[in-house]
Amino acid sequence: MLNQVKAIFSSRRSTWPKRLYGHGDPIWTLLLIFGSLLVPLLILAVGWMLWNQSAAARAEFGWNFLLPTLDANWDPIASNFQAWPFVYGTLLTSVVAIALAVPMSVGVAIFLAELCPSWLRLPLNWMIELLAAIPSVVYGLWGIFVFLPNIVAPVGSLMSKTLGQIPGLAPLFAGPMPHSGVSRLGAAFILAIMIMPTITAVTRDVLLSIPNSQREASLALGSTQWEAIWKVLLPYGLSGILGAILLGLGRALGETMAVTMVIGNSITGKPSLLSPGYTMASVIANEFAEAVSELHSQVLIEIGLVLFFLTLALNVAARLLVWSVARRTLQEVRS
Amino acid sequence: MRKILFVLVAVAMLLSACGGAQPTATPTAAPTAAPTTAPAAVPTVAPTATPLPPGSIQINGAGATFPLPVYTEWAYAYQYVDPSVVINYQGIGSGGGKKAIIDGTVDFAGSDSVLKDEEYQAGKDLQMYPILAGAVVVIYNINWAQPFPADAKIPTLVLDRQTLVDIYSAKITKWNDPAILALNPDLGGYLPDASITVVHRSDGSGTTEIFTKALSAFSPEWKTNVGAGASVQWPVDKAGNGVGSKGNQGVAAAVQNTPNSLGYVELSYAVSNKLAYAAMRNKAGKVVQADAASVQSAMADFAGAFDAKLTANIVDAPGEGSWPIVGYTYLILHTTSMEDCLKARKLLEYIRWSLTDQGAGKRAAELGYAVLPPAVRDNVLAKLGEVTCKGQPVLK
Repeated sequence: MLNQVKAIFSSRRSTWPKRLYGHGDPIWTLLLIFGSLLVPLLILAVGWMLWNQSAAARAEFGWNFLLPTLDANWDPIASNFQAWPFVYGTLLTSVVAIALAVPMSVGVAIFLAELCPSWLRLPLNWMIELLAAIPSVVYGLWGIFVFLPNIVAPVGSLMSKTLGQIPGLAPLFAGPMPHSGVSRLGAAFILAIMIMPTITAVTRDVLLSIPNSQREASLALGSTQWEAIWKVLLPYGLSGILGAILLGLGRALGETMAVTMVIGNSITGKPSLLSPGYTMASVIANEFAEAVSELHSQVLIEIGLVLFFLTLALNVAARLLVWSVARRTLQEVRS
Repeated sequence: MRKILFVLVAVAMLLSACGGAQPTATPTAAPTAAPTTAPAAVPTVAPTATPLPPGSIQINGAGATFPLPVYTEWAYAYQYVDPSVVINYQGIGSGGGKKAIIDGTVDFAGSDSVLKDEEYQAGKDLQMYPILAGAVVVIYNINWAQPFPADAKIPTLVLDRQTLVDIYSAKITKWNDPAILALNPDLGGYLPDASITVVHRSDGSGTTEIFTKALSAFSPEWKTNVGAGASVQWPVDKAGNGVGSKGNQGVAAAVQNTPNSLGYVELSYAVSNKLAYAAMRNKAGKVVQADAASVQSAMADFAGAFDAKLTANIVDAPGEGSWPIVGYTYLILHTTSMEDCLKARKLLEYIRWSLTDQGAGKRAAELGYAVLPPAVRDNVLAKLGEVTCKGQPVLK
């Protein structure tokens, strides 16, 4: 039977399917090239649209638009716009969110990859992934009604009483904390919760992909488990972990719905983490639908452009960091 | 090898022959189908004689979200009045609606704000028609300084026009400010010595436009410093006690969650969610509550104030029973350049139905909107009669 089949396939008569489909490789290659060209093309198209559609706004306000100021104008009626409160809000909430989320997620990832008993690993993994699947609007709702008034508000007032009294930090933690918890701090907390599953899952996979020889070698040299994790595994997986943090940062910068619901959407002059603020993504989401004047919608597109460049710049910077770290660890491993 | 190729080619030719044969085969079947589809093309001749197939005319509208609940209900109910018409209305915001009608991508637009001169020029033959009015009310959440006696009914907060402006300008920042105490002698001792968190809409909205128009009418200072629009620069934000929330729901949630706060929402929203809202001392000096009667009174006060485009600013009405924070929501139509005359007629019939049908008006009132008083409605119906299609009046 097998021989018969072989005979059919090897006979001259049945070579035609091969001829017909033999050109698969170049076609496949072309498809792949097309697909990979699509990515830079899409980025260029988005960038070009944002640049083009904000021409009048850029001409009108110039660099003054992005000038850091505590007394920014955002007056759609007088057509006077400055973007600093939004840039500041986006940067501050994202940075604080990363600062809150990274230690937590890396810790959880280490626990999951290295220390967790196997019966607990699967349910924990599921829950982490479930956390990533919750829509942001649900986070926002939960934030408004449960998390902000019950957790963020007390934490915030504690911060204003302690950190807010330290001379150098006072402006950043100046109270009073709103009773509803609506503040930049609230947004940062919600963002931290939202980006935690991403960072955790990727870091866990990075740690799991480290060859066991590394663990065994360091344990055999007499290091404790803590030393093996801290001095061997984390440096080994550092570039991957940085990549995970980068993913989280990307989500934090662009997150719109949940932040809009909890940040207070207020263009305030206070730089404090504890007062209501605004982000770039929120102001676009809030005002674009009813931006009646041409300049108003152009200005909002310009904010989109700033957000686009900010995200690009942060990505490039982080990529460079990952590269330099990867090169360094490679050299260390070689030496 | 060659033989196989031959067979393939032969099969391919057969297939293509079959494909080619199909179109020639259909005409034999067509004549039987034709009589049922043909009347759709000529209903303008005898509109009532042969009813159109259900759902055959799609009318698309887009715009303001403020009247979206009632437009949705009307569109649904109208299917029973005229089954041939399907009305789609998308709440994309007044700005989006205006752009869509100027670009001609929709048949009608809804808007809470009035078209500007350059928009009239861009849209050439646009006309606005007031359809409903809505009121904006001030909701509040106060942690009373002392508990009320168990059997006492908690008095409603009363504000006057200047006090409201001062609160939103951050000139009055405490609940026990003398100005508020003077208006609320019943609440003396209960109003706390706490700062007011002032909530406003963060998204551009017709509600904000009506509210800021009213504040501009109340105070010339507000008019010059802030002005009126779908989104404005709130003085309370700069002062640090302002909070913005998305949508009526967002404002209501923020007020409910924040002790000693105050915000503005549509009357229909406050009513359906049973929120406490303040009474106002109006221009005539009388304390009024927001309800259908006080909104209609405001419309009646300004019944003669319409301009050629049928727009009128109806905030701060002088009547004794008039609620001061009221605005119209409009439909926008092309008056002379509608292409499809049948669709134009169906659209105007729908608008006329929504203005005149008792059930439609009743449903709108239940949802918290105020229907037009007769004087205003006759004005609008007369203007609707002027719409033409290809030179002929659409409504006879």
